[in-house]
Amino acid sequence: MKVGVVVFPGSNCDRDMFHVLTDVFHLDAQYYWHDKGLPENIDAVILPGGFSYGDRLRAGVIAAHSPVIKDIQKMSEKGIPILGVCNGFQILVESGLLPGVLLKNDSLNFMCKWTNLIVENNKTPFTNQFELNQKIPIPIANGEGKYFADDETLKNLQEKNQIVFRYGDVVNGSSNRIAGVCNEDGNVVGMMPHPERAVESEINPLDNKPSSLIFESLLVKMGVQN
Amino acid sequence: MSLESQELDELKSKIGRDPTSTELQIVAAEWSEHCSYKSSKRHLKMLPMDGPLVITEKGYDSGVLDVGDGYVVTAHIESHNHPSAVEPYGGAATGVGGGIRDILSTGTRPIALLDGLRFGDIEKDKQAKWLFKNAVRGISAYGNCLGIPTIGGEVEFDECYKNYALVDVAAIGFGKKENLIKNHAQKGDVVVLLGGATGRDGIGGSQFASDSLESDNRSAIQIPDPFIEKLIIEVILEARTQKLIHAMKDLGGGGLSCAVSETADSLGIGIEMDVNKVHTRESDMHSDEIMISESQERMLIVTNLEKLEKLKIICKKFRVEYSVIGHVTFDSLMHVKKGEETLAKISTDIVTNATLLDLPSKKPVYLETIEHEQDFPQIPNYSETLLKLLSSPNIASKIWVYGQYDHEVGIRTVVKPGVDASVLRLDNGKFLSVKIDGNPKHCYINPREGAIGCFEEACRNVVCTGAKPIGMLDHLQFGNPKDPEIFWTFLESLKGLTNFAKYFDIPCIGGKVSLYNETPLGSIKPTPVIGVLGLIDKYPQISQKISVDDCLVIIGDTKNELGGSEYFEYIHKFIGGKCPVVNFDESKKNMKSVLEIIENKLVKSVHDCSKGGLVVAVSELCMINNIGCSVSLDKVPGESLSTDKILFSESHSRYLLTIDKNHLDNLKTILEKNHTSFEIIGNFGGNSILFSNDSKLVIDLMVDKTQKTWLNSLEELIMHA
Amino acid sequence: MTIFNVNVTIENKPGISDPEGETILNDLVLRGNYESVSKIKSAKMLRFTIEENSKESAQLKVQEICDEVRIYNPLVSKVTFDIFDA
Repeated sequence: MKVGVVVFPGSNCDRDMFHVLTDVFHLDAQYYWHDKGLPENIDAVILPGGFSYGDRLRAGVIAAHSPVIKDIQKMSEKGIPILGVCNGFQILVESGLLPGVLLKNDSLNFMCKWTNLIVENNKTPFTNQFELNQKIPIPIANGEGKYFADDETLKNLQEKNQIVFRYGDVVNGSSNRIAGVCNEDGNVVGMMPHPERAVESEINPLDNKPSSLIFESLLVKMGVQN
Repeated sequence: MSLESQELDELKSKIGRDPTSTELQIVAAEWSEHCSYKSSKRHLKMLPMDGPLVITEKGYDSGVLDVGDGYVVTAHIESHNHPSAVEPYGGAATGVGGGIRDILSTGTRPIALLDGLRFGDIEKDKQAKWLFKNAVRGISAYGNCLGIPTIGGEVEFDECYKNYALVDVAAIGFGKKENLIKNHAQKGDVVVLLGGATGRDGIGGSQFASDSLESDNRSAIQIPDPFIEKLIIEVILEARTQKLIHAMKDLGGGGLSCAVSETADSLGIGIEMDVNKVHTRESDMHSDEIMISESQERMLIVTNLEKLEKLKIICKKFRVEYSVIGHVTFDSLMHVKKGEETLAKISTDIVTNATLLDLPSKKPVYLETIEHEQDFPQIPNYSETLLKLLSSPNIASKIWVYGQYDHEVGIRTVVKPGVDASVLRLDNGKFLSVKIDGNPKHCYINPREGAIGCFEEACRNVVCTGAKPIGMLDHLQFGNPKDPEIFWTFLESLKGLTNFAKYFDIPCIGGKVSLYNETPLGSIKPTPVIGVLGLIDKYPQISQKISVDDCLVIIGDTKNELGGSEYFEYIHKFIGGKCPVVNFDESKKNMKSVLEIIENKLVKSVHDCSKGGLVVAVSELCMINNIGCSVSLDKVPGESLSTDKILFSESHSRYLLTIDKNHLDNLKTILEKNHTSFEIIGNFGGNSILFSNDSKLVIDLMVDKTQKTWLNSLEELIMHA
Repeated sequence: MTIFNVNVTIENKPGISDPEGETILNDLVLRGNYESVSKIKSAKMLRFTIEENSKESAQLKVQEICDEVRIYNPLVSKVTFDIFDA
């Protein structure tokens, strides 16, 4: 079972994600540079956080034109689990694989703080081990994390159960406090907070078990025993 | 150009002819104060720089410490004061960039940043607010984009920085000892310039830093590009792993002139280069401009032709530009050509060895009377005074600042910013604790004791996390060294730091001297900023939640030394009195006790007393833990003092311990064995911060309201006032 | 008095680098093979709606405001004005 971690020029959290996948969850993970394709035999793809292309023009827009996105699109159609974290989420949204848009936070400042997520959809490859409405203490660190979609899209997302996580509090002005969404098929998930920063008790001052379930869900989906 | 006339004469005499215009530019850059340290170098030698953990390597700009198991930690500190005072966003951001590249040039990955920010009075001065706001934005934008956590720092405001900015950046790196770049050059090696294209940025910058800020120098602006810097980090580390680098230097002050001459000199070689080969942003740059441009995000690499081909592949992958600008010779000359034409051919020894000055020093007249104190009217309401202090810019929570820095990226940050030192986990199971501290108010009143105080404070902060101090960075920031009184304060600070370093066996592993920090209003107060690195072998002291009935213990004596305190200066608007003095013996005992107590896991948290005194430190504990505390001032050990002095004295070597009653006996055993002064002074519980003296209640504040004020004051001031 | 819209365009002065424009050119547009594009300059535009007697006085007033409240930093950026009837 192999997980691909896609790296763009400017990605920062690739090494953090790789460490968590391999050292904490003992998965076979590999880095894939953005301008090459992805091999056929990947079982899951993760787009990590960072500042691809310095967030120039709009966060994620330049990376969304990378050659690797075509392969990610094909994989999304095949039902492969794909997770976009922070900048990864921005890239998935800019490439059309996820609905909505990510704007500057209401405060207009970069925000680094711990917050709580509420699980709204526990059927995705990254949330199947959660109870509905389970709380996850998790950090956010972004300047453009405000999720926005027009009323019609929001209605659709609600009806089709595409809202995966909500913030427990008002954090950055996201529509309906949306912190993460999935595609219609439910295999592509994007989230602004950083689960890879919350799974180790050494780093997580609150409770690392809930965020660990995000990765354990993937293990279950991939049929891997931990 | 800024060569003084006698320097020009000296140069002519050394080379036996008139210098060419390019030679003049090169020497003016390298002989500037910023690059040559001519005013300070002969005195800096007094600092102890060796130690069993210290690794020295020629050509390094960062200090290196062995942390065991084949790993090293690198550290560097520098400032970007002048540029930040003119364009705070770009100045602060490029300050971060410069620090990062110095870490990178040792072959280690940068893993953390700390920033020290000082501006004028932001309560009265719009300019100071503007500078502060934008410097924070600049550091945030740059550090976050690089994915390097800014884990700590300090923020201070003082009128002496009116229309000015002190922006200090400390950078920490980590890596394997075997990957350290051993700077060397071989026959046939080439010189490669890698990174951003060379433009007209910052022309005259390093010379500019040596002039005072009376005229805005337009072309000294440096535009930050953290995206390119991030790519450079990955290129360099990949090249290092593939062993493609023979020698490396980052380009900073003085641009190519300084990087090329210093590299050549430290390796004992010569370098021949061609300005036509330099990749530039503008098509019409003059050769001299190319030589002194301070365009950011550039590195100089020496390697051989075979390895160069591999390096090119890496650069192409990360879309980083490079140009092969020259090659190594063995004639110890810096030979700059433009095609076939020679523009400069001068001994590297002459370029890099400016004549060191032996400046006169004289004790400042104001120091004769500064220690006289005044009698102040009795404080009518201490609760109000405390609230005022807690909402003052120097003491209010800095969460508005560090909340804009990604302090989690890299997933090493175990103790986050906001209390004492921050702690990072290393790959060998150990932990690194880091803090920077400065106190110009104390240093103005007593330059020697003030500087020692900064060093001790940084040590205290690191000790609070259970770390043993293993190295120090010193950033010495003063006004015009040609003023004998100012130079005297510089020497005094240096002597103080040296004494402390020797007594405690903490080597100075790096530092910077920044002089000529003057504005039209005069010199800044002496501002040495000291960074201390500490190592924790097993577990850091991570603060646990304080519970009802937990006890508050103070270690260390409180003395009558209110000079330079926030109380005297912010509340009474008085500059004077005796500033706190570190008693080395007491300091050592207290540190030893605290480390032993932490090792025995006896306490819930350790917090040191610093700005604002005991009362602020206790309030911070209450506000962070959402719990009240009742303190008896009459129990506080030390001299017999009036109420206000016990509350607000900023005496050093004092630590607050929060402890479960059940551990008190074991605690007392250790403290008594070490002959440490201590006392149980309070109990936690309830919702109020209560201070009494001899059963008379003097302070009564609700924790939640106080906390709200403390947390929001700075943001309110910046965003809404 | 008439109402005018004054577009204030803030861009980096010539000779000062423009990393945003360069990245958009090199990593987005040129990679899409639009080789006829040789340069992209990034700028910020603020539109002031202001009541003044004439286009000239509207521009002067907006210039004054920009300088006074530091809408732009003259060491880094230059401003150009386009005035329209609202």
